[in-house]
Amino acid sequence: MSLVGPSGSGKSSLLRAAIGLQQPLAGTVEPEVAPSEIGMLFQDDALLPWRSARDNVALGLSFRNVPRKSALVQADYWLDRVGLAGFEHRYPRHLSGGQRKRVALAQVLALTPKLLLMDEPFASLDAIVRARVVQDVATLVAEEQISVLLVTHDLEEAIGLSDSIYLLSQGPRARITQHYQVPLPRPRDPVRARMHPSFAPLYDRLWNDLSNEVGRNPRAEAAE
Amino acid sequence: MNPRYAWLRQLIAFGILLLIWEAAGRADMLNPLFMPSPSRIGSALYELFSDGRIWPHLEATFTAALGGLVLGLVVGILLGILGAMVPLIAELLEPVMTLLNAIPRVILAPLFVIWLGIGLASKVALAFILVAVLIFFTVFTGIRQVDQRLVERIVTLGGGRWALVRHVYLPSVTAWILGNLKVAVGFAFTGAVVGEFVAATSGLGYLLSFAQSTYNSALMLALVLLIMVVVLLIFAIAGRLEKYLLRWH
Repeated sequence: MSLVGPSGSGKSSLLRAAIGLQQPLAGTVEPEVAPSEIGMLFQDDALLPWRSARDNVALGLSFRNVPRKSALVQADYWLDRVGLAGFEHRYPRHLSGGQRKRVALAQVLALTPKLLLMDEPFASLDAIVRARVVQDVATLVAEEQISVLLVTHDLEEAIGLSDSIYLLSQGPRARITQHYQVPLPRPRDPVRARMHPSFAPLYDRLWNDLSNEVGRNPRAEAAE
Repeated sequence: MNPRYAWLRQLIAFGILLLIWEAAGRADMLNPLFMPSPSRIGSALYELFSDGRIWPHLEATFTAALGGLVLGLVVGILLGILGAMVPLIAELLEPVMTLLNAIPRVILAPLFVIWLGIGLASKVALAFILVAVLIFFTVFTGIRQVDQRLVERIVTLGGGRWALVRHVYLPSVTAWILGNLKVAVGFAFTGAVVGEFVAATSGLGYLLSFAQSTYNSALMLALVLLIMVVVLLIFAIAGRLEKYLLRWH
């Protein structure tokens, strides 16, 4: 499931409220899963620079009192799953942007979440790396049967990855104004989704609706 | 110009300079009263060690500097952490520290002598105040500038307050302190030597002041050289420590 909308519509705030980083001003968050079953990926991969890749991945497990030995074994397993076997002992400084993103992903997946919140997680990656990371994320969450709530600016990414997309209106007091079902079959390759005949019509609709939202308030463009 | 051999060129240039200096001295172009030749400085240094009278002075300066350094680190870190955590302490402490930071703290040396006497205590106090203020600001501003993304990361992974302290704050603080450790070492020795210079019965600073009052330029320069070597030695140790603790850099 994806959430798109103009800047300032509160997409990130919604995710932050869902995981408890931010208190909603009014109303309540009622997740159907326990807080410990929610994982979050940020745009900036904030790994601890003083810990190696495997120690970073083992970190969340240590908060759950998993014995260190078993936490490291699990960390190595998840690093292998995200395609980073052999990089266990590297420090974040010695990893590329895409590799750091993968470590952050392994860090979250190691806690076996049921719901994964992603706040523009791929925005900082360059095109080719991004395509590959997106593909691998799609495969992993499908294999692990994790529900994903993705916040993104990239409509192509939203369509490629989701089954349904929600559009938030221009803030303040933003609300959900549109809901789209993605008619693309599963399993699918999120990067090649744009080749599918039903991709272009949906993309056009999304684009127009989003443009209208931004168009209502010229200040929104300045904020972009 | 291969940058790998920069040290060699620097060494050669230094050697040439020493040779010119020595030659000028021997040709009577320099007044030995003001500018003794390198060989005279060398022999002054040699004498200091050969008759063994340098050791108690070295010991006094080292004790004062390292004592002040350790005390300054401990107090600076504690106050820095307290200031960053407790707003009231920050309110009360920050103006005092800012003031102490703004003045050249060595002007406190005569005061310390009156308060604590001409013994070791006044030197430790001066080294301490120089180091403590520096470290306080390092830790205090450091904690406030901790990468908020790291904090959020730990929180979303399920880490509590203790996890934040252990995995984010302590390592960050360690990194900043190590970054300033060399400056702190320099400050500690400045405090010790200046304290001895003002009033003391032993120490390198005391010897320096003695050499000045007897117009012994060779001894003065020998002592300056000795202090440089001592501080460089400690820098090397600090550098090793830094390299080990910041190996993730």
